[in-house]
Amino acid sequence: MEQRLANTWRMSVNDKKFIESSLLSDLRVDGRRPFDYRKLSIKFGREDGSSEVQLGETHVMGFVTGQLVPPYRDRPNEGSLAIYTEFSPMADPSFEAGRPGENAVELGRIIDRGLRESRAIDTESLCILSGKLVWSIRVDLHILDNGGNLVDAANIAALAALLTFRRPECTLSGDDGQEVIVHSAEEREPLPLIVHHLPVAVTFAFFSNDNVVVIDPTHKEEAVMKGRLTATLNTNGDVCAIQKGGGIGVLQSVVLQCLRIASVKAADMTSKIKDAVESYNTVRAFRKVKRHSAPIAVSVDGSVAIKKQSQDGAQKIEL
Amino acid sequence: MEKKAAALPSKFVDQLVVPGDVVLDLTTLANSTIKLGGGLRQECDTITAMKAGVLRFAKPNKYWVESSQKRYVPCAEDHVLGIVVDTKADNFLVDIKGPAIAFLPVLAFEGGTRRNIPKFEVGTLLYVRVVKANTGMNPELSCMDANGKASGFGILKDGYMFESSTGLSRMLLSSPTCPVLEILGKKLSFEIAVGLNGRVWVNGASPSSVILVANAIMNSETLSGAQQRIMVEKLLQRVQ
Repeated sequence: MEQRLANTWRMSVNDKKFIESSLLSDLRVDGRRPFDYRKLSIKFGREDGSSEVQLGETHVMGFVTGQLVPPYRDRPNEGSLAIYTEFSPMADPSFEAGRPGENAVELGRIIDRGLRESRAIDTESLCILSGKLVWSIRVDLHILDNGGNLVDAANIAALAALLTFRRPECTLSGDDGQEVIVHSAEEREPLPLIVHHLPVAVTFAFFSNDNVVVIDPTHKEEAVMKGRLTATLNTNGDVCAIQKGGGIGVLQSVVLQCLRIASVKAADMTSKIKDAVESYNTVRAFRKVKRHSAPIAVSVDGSVAIKKQSQDGAQKIEL
Repeated sequence: MEKKAAALPSKFVDQLVVPGDVVLDLTTLANSTIKLGGGLRQECDTITAMKAGVLRFAKPNKYWVESSQKRYVPCAEDHVLGIVVDTKADNFLVDIKGPAIAFLPVLAFEGGTRRNIPKFEVGTLLYVRVVKANTGMNPELSCMDANGKASGFGILKDGYMFESSTGLSRMLLSSPTCPVLEILGKKLSFEIAVGLNGRVWVNGASPSSVILVANAIMNSETLSGAQQRIMVEKLLQRVQ
């Protein structure tokens, strides 16, 4: 039995030829035009700091957690941000469990670069005690289904999770002001992270024929493409990071054209992320209201509640 | 009495079953033979379901469970679409989306002899028939029907192949013709080959019509007949 051979996804020559030839007439196999993005949907979990992003068939889950750790020696008053990726074999049979593959490392690096080097997350506000204690923020990205363009989907998942993450508030006390108190969520409202801007990744695929460029490649297009370029931009039009993969050479004018298109798409996606986060926040606020009112109703047993009601009723009548 | 019991099919027929459901009690149907298909298993005196799906019954005595999944479990006499992975001296290695690679003997072609072995490059798309599918063995394929004729089997040139669930491919093969194919067939001319392993190949005059057909089929999986009609008409309007 040759098990291993059966575990990889294969593409027929027919598909390869068809995708390439139809791209020449600006047609894509899923009916999109070259610069159309797939449908994006962002959902959130019940807990703060978890997100689920669906981009066409691609499905990515993001999860943010925080931990109190001693800071790095060279940056005593800065917190840290780390990205971890998890490529499950369930998403694509070619992903191996355990050891992160080439793709997993590259994806993590692109997102890490976009977020960290553009200083999108304010790390100085994560410091509690200079040189002793800072928050370390960890972003876990789980790929649940690979439908192509994992970078963009994972980047959106990371941003959405970071925007909804809340860390417990900490205060200093004690005689020397060196004692740290971590307040629970009931005691003090947890604080959101300070996010300066949203670096959004937009991926382009290049094909062997000249000047054929498409945005947001699918799984099949990724198998055919000769090169790709991921530009990470924010709404101000600042380019935070660029990653170019594959062997094909790309003209400077094409890169600049890609950047122009990417900035439009980035603005579009930023507003989608912000809308989703806003609606999550309102739902969260409503949940809070219910939670506070609940204990009173529960703690009072039936008879007392009736009595109270009747008293209220009586008072009203008297009034 | 006994005869009556034997003629009476299981009460689960055309109903949803889940793994562990006891579908048939053999003690009630003594002296009759039944044939079991995929998804069913005999445990002592009972037949239980092994996967979730709809239990089907065909006269006189065949039972099987139908479900829709991404993974394909090879079964003899299925017509499937395979991709050539490698060529060996005696066999072509073909990927049919199963748990193991399938073997296509180089002589399993109409009029095949040692002298005229076809040449397939890696990635060639083939329409083949599963001949043997035993557990613990690689499935065996053939490019001939039972009479040794080619009858449509063999290489598929050009066109576009996409993957679907096994349920969708079964829907496309069902008779009477499913609504999507019926309406598309009235408006457009195209060739289609459906494999039970959830691969569908479409070829047409222009790339745009192939893309339209492929997307209409992929969208139709969860739609009812009327919804399929509306969806296809909308798609056709958008293109024209």
